[in-house]
Amino acid sequence: MKIKLMVLAISLLASSGGAAGIDFGKLLEERINQELNKDKPTQPAPAQQPAQTPGQAPAAAQSAAAPPPPAKQKIDARQLGFALFGDYSLEEETRIGRQISGNLLGAVPLVRDDKLQGYVNLVGNWVALQSGRKDVIWHFGVLDTEDINAFAAPGGYIFVTKGLYRRLNSEAELAGVLAHEIAHVTQKHHLKMLKQSSLIGALGQAASSKAKDSDQVVQNLIGNGAEIMARGLDKNAEFQADRIGIVYAARAGYTPWGLPDVLQDLAGLPAKDSRTSLLYKTHPHPADRLAALGEAVGGRLDAVRGKELADRFYRVR
Amino acid sequence: MKTFLMPAAALVLCVTAASAWAAPGTVLRNDKLYSQPSASARVAGSVAKGASVNILSKQGGWLRVSSGKTTGWIRLLSVRAGAGGLGGAGLGDVVGAATTRSDPSRVVAVAGLRGLNDEDLKQAKFNADELARLDTLSVTATQARSFASQSGLAAVNVPGLPEPKPAQPSSSWESN
Repeated sequence: MKIKLMVLAISLLASSGGAAGIDFGKLLEERINQELNKDKPTQPAPAQQPAQTPGQAPAAAQSAAAPPPPAKQKIDARQLGFALFGDYSLEEETRIGRQISGNLLGAVPLVRDDKLQGYVNLVGNWVALQSGRKDVIWHFGVLDTEDINAFAAPGGYIFVTKGLYRRLNSEAELAGVLAHEIAHVTQKHHLKMLKQSSLIGALGQAASSKAKDSDQVVQNLIGNGAEIMARGLDKNAEFQADRIGIVYAARAGYTPWGLPDVLQDLAGLPAKDSRTSLLYKTHPHPADRLAALGEAVGGRLDAVRGKELADRFYRVR
Repeated sequence: MKTFLMPAAALVLCVTAASAWAAPGTVLRNDKLYSQPSASARVAGSVAKGASVNILSKQGGWLRVSSGKTTGWIRLLSVRAGAGGLGGAGLGDVVGAATTRSDPSRVVAVAGLRGLNDEDLKQAKFNADELARLDTLSVTATQARSFASQSGLAAVNVPGLPEPKPAQPSSSWESN
């Protein structure tokens, strides 16, 4: 065990490219102290201090990163530490998204149907093209579970369960569901949530000094496994994703009513269905979502004519 | 009555999803019933928030509903399907009791199907093979554009929707 720790420590030292050994806990303490004294206009950190200002961190992280990062590659733990206070760089966002997605896929594998997966990726990418976010590589997957849900992780990772997919009736409904998830990514809802909770997490991390390598840092940030997907977002983030999602779908040429149709279907399901318990724990009730959408939409989409494409919809057993 | 319901049922099977149609619904906001699925059509009546309606069919952003003796078209987003009333407020207790974190018993499966739960996700271990599989399924923007044009999909200019006023009338689904 001790030898293992030694090896880890040495590999960390080596990977940090000759920089002084990383005391992640101490580093965080410094950063948190800085953050707590932030009321006064912040001055750039003294030059001899290894820390950087939050504003500089993303740029530094981006330039240091070799895209796309292999899943196990170590990166400088300091970069992710700084991301607690600055904005996440694309590289950090992708890394967080991959860790969450890899964990989620550890709980539920992909459906073994390449035609289905390919179809969902085509629809999803077409909708994502209307989102204006061009810096991420979008990934879409159908999860092999009867649970009725869909998930988004930072960096453009989007999943829909087979249980939900099976209830869909047209490409427009699929587009609507994916568009809602795409909106979570473009609005960076999960990153914002992580940021809000990360100060507390960082303190715990500094105390336990569990941060052995970057994957561990990301994992510490997101909690256990894929539990972040069970925590849910603020309900206003869900309402916003609905509003933005139906517009994305409409911009892609689909009828805007795909997502509302899915919500109507869910609203009609029995309340005590175990397949929707997680969905309802993490989302407002479909009736509330329909009502909120109704307030925002009114007659604004009356003139929008889009396609349903029920014929082309790929059906699963 | 039967002769009327039969076509409606056929429509449900062929055109729409959902077993939800030709089903009870609840009005989510005060709104008008139109004689045709269009806001420029003649107004056939009006319904109040909380009223029960019968959903008969659907077309685009419109539902054909009956309320008492009046039948007409109402905006899709002004009604919820299902028997749960106005939504979170009406159903929260029932479902909340079954899904709160503290409830140790897993919700009884419907028809032998079990959903995902907190514990599944919390215990999940990183699966690099599945993530690699996901990577191989990825498509390019060019492929997506070609796929879209095959069925006549083209990008449309649709303005974004306004942010809501600060006070949200809706209640959270999670009843704490």
